[in-house]
Amino acid sequence: MHIPDGFLSVPVWCAMDGAALPSVAYLARRVQRESSGHKVPLMGVMGAFVFAAQMINFPVGNGTSGHLVGGALLSFTLGPAPASIVMTAILITQALVFQDGGLLALGANVFNMAIAGVLAGYLPYALLRGRGAGVFLGGVLSVMVSAVFALGELILSGVPMPAMALTISLALFGASAVCEGAITLAVTKAMKRIEPGFMRRPEDIGGKRALVVALASVALAAGGVFVTSAWPDGIQKLVLHSGSSSGRTAWLTAPMADYKLRWLATPWMTKTAAGLTGILLVYVLCVAIGRALSVSRPAAGREGA
Amino acid sequence: MERWSRGDSVLHRRHAAVKILVALALLISIGTLTSHSALAGALYLALLVASASAARLPVFGILLGAAAVLPFAICFAAVSVLAGEPAQAVLLIVRTWLSAQVAILLIATTPMPRLIAGLEALHAPEFLLQVMQFLYRYLTVLAEEAGTMLQAGSARAGTLRTLRFREAAAMAGVLFARSYARAQAIHQAMIARGFEGRLPAIRQAPFRLADAGFGAGAVAVVIAVRAVFRWA
Repeated sequence: MHIPDGFLSVPVWCAMDGAALPSVAYLARRVQRESSGHKVPLMGVMGAFVFAAQMINFPVGNGTSGHLVGGALLSFTLGPAPASIVMTAILITQALVFQDGGLLALGANVFNMAIAGVLAGYLPYALLRGRGAGVFLGGVLSVMVSAVFALGELILSGVPMPAMALTISLALFGASAVCEGAITLAVTKAMKRIEPGFMRRPEDIGGKRALVVALASVALAAGGVFVTSAWPDGIQKLVLHSGSSSGRTAWLTAPMADYKLRWLATPWMTKTAAGLTGILLVYVLCVAIGRALSVSRPAAGREGA
Repeated sequence: MERWSRGDSVLHRRHAAVKILVALALLISIGTLTSHSALAGALYLALLVASASAARLPVFGILLGAAAVLPFAICFAAVSVLAGEPAQAVLLIVRTWLSAQVAILLIATTPMPRLIAGLEALHAPEFLLQVMQFLYRYLTVLAEEAGTMLQAGSARAGTLRTLRFREAAAMAGVLFARSYARAQAIHQAMIARGFEGRLPAIRQAPFRLADAGFGAGAVAVVIAVRAVFRWA
């Protein structure tokens, strides 16, 4: 899921770096202020923990094994904003020391995994008040949201992605997302047995503010649909491009075949599907940003470290 | 690669901030290579090899190390070929491989503390850099801890069989608890030594005239190659 350099087109990496840089700067300043600098050792060591925990292989059946990705787990234990900073530090270290992910693509990777992924992972945890289902869903969403963003950025960059390849990669990412959910749930259970206080109490999602953010995101999404239906060329080209060889390979993707062919057959279906995907992405983004903004007061969690 | 970064050469001695900027210029130029600019790509490869040997680094090792990113690129290249765009496939592999070489050359000529100082000089968020410093410092410590735990686990199990899911989760949980305790111990030790939330400023290397000259020259060469061989 780490995008290397050489894949993203200039507008895409510029936009992603442009989105990630101010977000990280803002989050870093906020966490620094809230903890008056005292969280640095804990956050740094937790970043190192994620690296070390990735040495532990979890058998996930068929002789394959997975490992913890960690974004969701960090947000449950440190809170979403510190978790984003720790994930950013991890991604920079991976890009520099292990050549895992590119330097120009760093903004895209940070946005996908450290910002959107962490916030999407924290959302179900907060909504379900820290129950097991929330932990599991948090792990699943953190990986799935980052994967969908990464695939979207690759397609926008013009990396050829026939419908079959897209289906396969989405299926693979779905499987690894479920693995991450299961691993996160199992690890948090083990942690709770050692010391229940490791997991932060999820913060309240403010009622009125959440409503305002939700309305704003619906308005934004509606605006986006108007824009795309008024100037559909870009997105239409995108979908036609990404589905260019689906006719030839349709028989290989039996369950999806009908769907894809219909996509191509009627332009308005193309538009609708693209629009819905767009809405979904914008929604996830808005909810995530809203979550970050609405928690303005420092949470009374574990500040002892 | 950390061993390489402790070497001494013209490239090793340059200011980290300048090297980061040159690397970015090179990465942007490589990222915009098209299938019509094969000669520019070859020249960038030559430039990278020349810089590596000027820095007295094992050229073959760098080329090989950069090839570690290729499996990912080859997957997407295969998809491109299937989609009937072989030119795009070659381009993906070349761009990814050259970009990885740039990143390796940067880290192989700049030790981590200097790299972080360079990022600070370029106004990266101070707090993030402090977290990175701690992360880098305790990376090997905790990796060793995890390795010891895995070894102890397999010693008690009698064989080197793979872990079961529950056992792996318990191990990760224990690793978390130990990391947390270590972080607290570090923080307490820091407070005992007078830490009040501010770490001492990162020590900057002096910025010399040679650094400015190197930066300007390297960026000029990179842009010139890209501009002259636009269509070649």
